[in-house]
Amino acid sequence: MSKAIAVTNLVKQYNSLKAVDSISFDVEENEIFGCLGPNGAGKTTAIRCMTTLTRPTAGRLEIFGTSVIENPDDVRKSIGYVPQSLSLTSELSGYENLLIAAKIHGVSSDKRREKIEQMLNLLGIGERANDVVRHYSGGMMRRLEIGTALIHSPKLLILDEPTIGLDPQGRRVIWELLRMLVKEHGITIFMTTHDMAEADALCQRIAIMNRGKIVAVGTPAELKRGLGGDIVTIEVKDNAKRAAALLEKQGVKVNMINEKSISMVVESAERRLAGFVESLADGGVQIESISAQRPTLDDVFLKYVGSRMGEVESGGEWQQVRQVRRTIRRMG
Amino acid sequence: MLPIVEKSGIVLELELRKMMRDQSDIVIRAITPILWLTIFGSVFSQIRQIPLAGVSYLAYITPGVLAQSVLFMSIFTGVSLVWERDFGQLDRLLSAPIPRTSIVLGKALAGGVKSLFQAGIILAIAFLLGVSIISNPAYMVAVIVLVVIFGICFSSLSILVTVLLKTRERVMGIVQLISMPLFFASNALYPVDLMPVWLQVVSLVNPMTYFVAALRALMITGNLSALPMDILGIGVATAFFVAAASLAFRKLGV
Repeated sequence: MSKAIAVTNLVKQYNSLKAVDSISFDVEENEIFGCLGPNGAGKTTAIRCMTTLTRPTAGRLEIFGTSVIENPDDVRKSIGYVPQSLSLTSELSGYENLLIAAKIHGVSSDKRREKIEQMLNLLGIGERANDVVRHYSGGMMRRLEIGTALIHSPKLLILDEPTIGLDPQGRRVIWELLRMLVKEHGITIFMTTHDMAEADALCQRIAIMNRGKIVAVGTPAELKRGLGGDIVTIEVKDNAKRAAALLEKQGVKVNMINEKSISMVVESAERRLAGFVESLADGGVQIESISAQRPTLDDVFLKYVGSRMGEVESGGEWQQVRQVRRTIRRMG
Repeated sequence: MLPIVEKSGIVLELELRKMMRDQSDIVIRAITPILWLTIFGSVFSQIRQIPLAGVSYLAYITPGVLAQSVLFMSIFTGVSLVWERDFGQLDRLLSAPIPRTSIVLGKALAGGVKSLFQAGIILAIAFLLGVSIISNPAYMVAVIVLVVIFGICFSSLSILVTVLLKTRERVMGIVQLISMPLFFASNALYPVDLMPVWLQVVSLVNPMTYFVAALRALMITGNLSALPMDILGIGVATAFFVAAASLAFRKLGV
């Protein structure tokens, strides 16, 4: 079985800037693959290479076994693409947008009407199909955009920041839609995001990108496990030393925080906590509190990129959000 | 049907659907040519010193004003293209299985069709002002075809400029910069014979001159002796700009 996307040593250089610096990864069929990184990491450039909008400087890039560089026209037929900024014709109705997309992608005239009706129902905008898109909410516009990208039944859907600028409710609706597409329609999704929670909740696998390079690839769980496990913190009434000694008998490396509290990294907190409590109780140590923290993708990002996402961007996110809002306002 | 023709038709359909939703553009753009006819034309009709081979000045400039409105209508095709590039619309189109030439042709054709509406408005005004236009149906069909072709010609020029210059500010600036000289360095408002020699040379390489001459022959004078030459001039210019715009456009993607 060929990979949905196979990227090998892909480079895209603009003058002296290496926007994409020799990246390699595979996207399996029927998964949601997320590319996570701060603004300017090279995510959109990578997408522009995949969607035939720009020619890679070097490397190989195949979509379902077809080279993007050698056969861009074949690739164009097999993908659906939703760019980051609004790609609908806002002067036209939702129906017309789907109709034009269907015609452009060569959906035959006898199937067009049926396909559009199905899509409108799937997206839940059937009632507003004949309204002008400019009067749609941001979430509806995004759903319709995804619909126009799917009208020719592509096997791969490429999304650039699909939920940027949406409220939490709108974001959840998009997530549901994407999950359903993968589960029920067998579609593969490649998406970029700079939202850790989104990547964690939605993507089966993630590539973390920074400064044109991919610094880590894996499932969210694998990436977090790579950090060594959960962090358990125990506060005791007195005598933390005794508590530490008792736990070290169980093969755990314990850090003394102060006289009354200790912490340790364990592979799976939920399996170990009961044993810890029991041995401390048997040893006569009184526990004041106990807490276990799972590492988040934020911690993973911190490990690989060396700073937290917000710090890398230094206000960039805020500017981008403002840009998107301005865009939406202009269209309205 | 050839895919390139079919897909050009879809791009044309998209543009025309947009136009049908909002006709204000067509109406507003018709105001300037109407002012040229009613004010400039009426006043300059009083000057009897321009040699016009027996037609009134108003009749003389009617094809010129028509040509000007086609020029101004289609030269802004590229500006909307910049807009579509700033949003994701153009990216979507470029990532779809559609020949690049079809995007250029479809948009240019839309410029031509929009120009036809303008032509209709201007002809109606000229008629009301007492200009007598040759009513031979074959001539009228020829005028319609020429208007569409000329719309394609300047829309392609506009797309070419846009692809080369990229930003909205630059495109707006250059469009303003080229449209006025194209208008004045032509026979739209006065015969070429009245121009200084250097300007006559400029007017000879200005496609506008051939377009106005052809329209004038078909609408006003009925003297078709120079028409083949005019049509050749228009054909060469249109073919050149369509080809150049398509080539430049292809560089946008893989």
